[in-house]
Amino acid sequence: MYNLNLTAEQLEFRDTVRDFVDREVKPVALLPARLEPFEKPLLTDLLDQASQMGLRTLALSEEAGGAGADGLTSCIVLEELAAGDVDIAVVLGQTAMLGRVLFDQLMTPGQRKRFLPEFVEDDQYHLAFAGRDADANIGWCYHRPLAEEADTEPTAVKKGGDWVINGSVAFASNAPIAKLIAVQVRTDPKKTGMNGLSTLLVPRDAPGLTVGQAVPAIEGSGQRIRWHHGTGAGMVFKDCNVPADHLLGKEGQSPLAGGAHAARGATQLAAINIGVARAAYEAAIDYAKLRWQGGRHIIEHPAIGMKLADAAIKLEVARNTVWKAAWVADHPDAVSDRSASGLPLHIIARAFTAEVLHRATLETAECFGAMAVMRDMPLQKYVHDTLVLLHYADNDSAAMLQIAEAVAGYQRPLAA
Amino acid sequence: MDFSLNEEQRGWQMEARKFAEEEIRPISLARDQIADPSKTFDWEIIRKGSKLGFRTLAVPKAWGGHEADFVTQALVMAELAKGDSSVSKTFSQCWKWSHLIAASCTEDQKERFLKPFLADDTFVLGKGGSEANAGSDNRMPPEDDPKSGWKLQAERKGDEWILNGTKLYIANGSVAKLFFVDARTNPNVGIREGSTMFLIPNDTPGFRVGKVFNKRGWRFYQNGELIFENARVPHANIVGEVNGGVKARATDKSEFGDIELAANALGICDDAVGLAMNFARTHKRAGKLVIDHQLVQLKLNEMYALTEALRSFVLRVAWERDQKLPDVGNNVLVMNYSTDVVQRVTRLNMEIHGAEGCMMNARVDKLVRDAMIWTHLAGDTVQRVKVVKRLK
Repeated sequence: MYNLNLTAEQLEFRDTVRDFVDREVKPVALLPARLEPFEKPLLTDLLDQASQMGLRTLALSEEAGGAGADGLTSCIVLEELAAGDVDIAVVLGQTAMLGRVLFDQLMTPGQRKRFLPEFVEDDQYHLAFAGRDADANIGWCYHRPLAEEADTEPTAVKKGGDWVINGSVAFASNAPIAKLIAVQVRTDPKKTGMNGLSTLLVPRDAPGLTVGQAVPAIEGSGQRIRWHHGTGAGMVFKDCNVPADHLLGKEGQSPLAGGAHAARGATQLAAINIGVARAAYEAAIDYAKLRWQGGRHIIEHPAIGMKLADAAIKLEVARNTVWKAAWVADHPDAVSDRSASGLPLHIIARAFTAEVLHRATLETAECFGAMAVMRDMPLQKYVHDTLVLLHYADNDSAAMLQIAEAVAGYQRPLAA
Repeated sequence: MDFSLNEEQRGWQMEARKFAEEEIRPISLARDQIADPSKTFDWEIIRKGSKLGFRTLAVPKAWGGHEADFVTQALVMAELAKGDSSVSKTFSQCWKWSHLIAASCTEDQKERFLKPFLADDTFVLGKGGSEANAGSDNRMPPEDDPKSGWKLQAERKGDEWILNGTKLYIANGSVAKLFFVDARTNPNVGIREGSTMFLIPNDTPGFRVGKVFNKRGWRFYQNGELIFENARVPHANIVGEVNGGVKARATDKSEFGDIELAANALGICDDAVGLAMNFARTHKRAGKLVIDHQLVQLKLNEMYALTEALRSFVLRVAWERDQKLPDVGNNVLVMNYSTDVVQRVTRLNMEIHGAEGCMMNARVDKLVRDAMIWTHLAGDTVQRVKVVKRLK
């Protein structure tokens, strides 16, 4: 049974992180000097502090030295972090999730022995995954076999005892700060698509690896702008050598592409979305109680009351949807015993949350009148941040068609 | 019913389209991306546009302007806005106040202010109403709170008035040479009976421009802080009568400001539709052109339908103003409608483009940011509430 009582541990996590955000993050993140420039460098000191609180290793098992947080607890923590700074939440969410997947689920004992101690010890040890999302194109191929995609992966060949990687990756989240990167490489040139791909563990200091500069807010040409949170960069491999035993899983497999990992990522992003919208909503309530127009505090005008009520509804329902998706993923038997729907709850949560919370954020910003669009105030940033989450690569409207395929019971034929 | 444009209207429309495509659009994104809000302006584009008549379009012919009708004004604003919404607004802000000069200024004032405005390609106009604690109160003064509304103080000393106070978010604040400024001349009654409108040249002693506000959208169009520290203004600069500021404003029956915002929004929608169609015809997803996906076809349909409906509404209201038909609230309704349409159409354009990996088309984002400005323009919600009294 879906339980609405958070555990004592979850409540403590929430209160501790909320307190950290109020005391440490907001005073920095809300400074006009931080808000106004287009470029907002990652708040690395705060990332270090968050790591010391255990948030970088949040989802890593307790045996491995982490906090062992389940999916729901991670969502609770990420919502709180995002209410302070969306980039901190995205970076920590990515490292925490990959920490669990890599160290607890995919690495061999030997790999764990080599990489885990430093990961647990070093507050600046972040993780990245460079590879394609196996489900990315599904919506565009609704009720049809997946279309072939151009192959962009780096190649890797075995030479002596090493893998030699060549090629480039256009973008990977966390790349500029990652000390270990799981890289999808083509190891079988005769196969296409997801077939023939393998995943290698590449340390940041591997010879032949160059990680690019973090993507700037505005590209040099001025024609494109950064459209992601956290940090990210491309990377180039030039005869990059890693030992043969850095293979993650089996040759020809991509254990990080799609599946449970992608589902957890989508649900986390939805929780981060709630944090951003909640920050706007709470700011609007505070301001509406202070601002005096029309002969009373504006919160007493029905037109403002409706905006706040509408935002409250959207936040409550969004949180229900996200928490349910996280809880069901934490309790897979809930689906097998027919307690919960077998639909892709993570896509439902992500799509619903992004849409309604962008609208709620815009509406709550409207309570501020002209101040909503001023760059020394956070409202315009909240609006932008929810817009980025709404039009993320994993969340175009085609993604929703994955839900329709599930509803229809469509079985996609396996690629050759 | 006749929807055709006359030759003059068509001529201005073509002229504006050409100027927008050849001159405005090429500088639009670069200006938008200048980080310092006080450095976004480009006097060259104002000069060029002024020489073509876009600064003085609304001034009566008798005074040397073009006296374009409202349909023409709407067409020109939309065309210019398709190149850049905030450049269009910088020009039309001049029309807004030249309507007021024509309607309520004395011959002496027209001589002193309208003439130099016409003669100088860089003479831009502005108006100061908003203050830190006077926003929607200026639009809809509450009956039970007569002290609400602007507080900027004006006291008479002989032939001069001494002004003290600060205006916020004033459009063209940092670039205008002349402002209409609302001041309180009787603090004991509401603004309708207790305020006076002054003509304030930017070289008025005791007057200066403070901060230029750093906005999310409309970055070319600068909003500034106007600071009055014992500013001395001649009595002859009063528009209308003492304590008759609100009445003086109301002598301009054109309700231009409402059509203005709607026509400008139409230009953004046209731009969004153009970008979306171009993208959909040139990019592929899963081996098919984007435009061949049902998903996108439905969005394009909605973008077109909303944009064409807005066009019809804008031109109808402009025509109603030209015919001097009774004002039944349509001008406010079209402004409110444009607020909703411009949000939706710019968002649909963003949906169609989607994120390219980790990047977004900068102009697609700019249109969404410019559109957000509408959510508070002219006190959007206040106008929605206020207009109900005028509806039959």
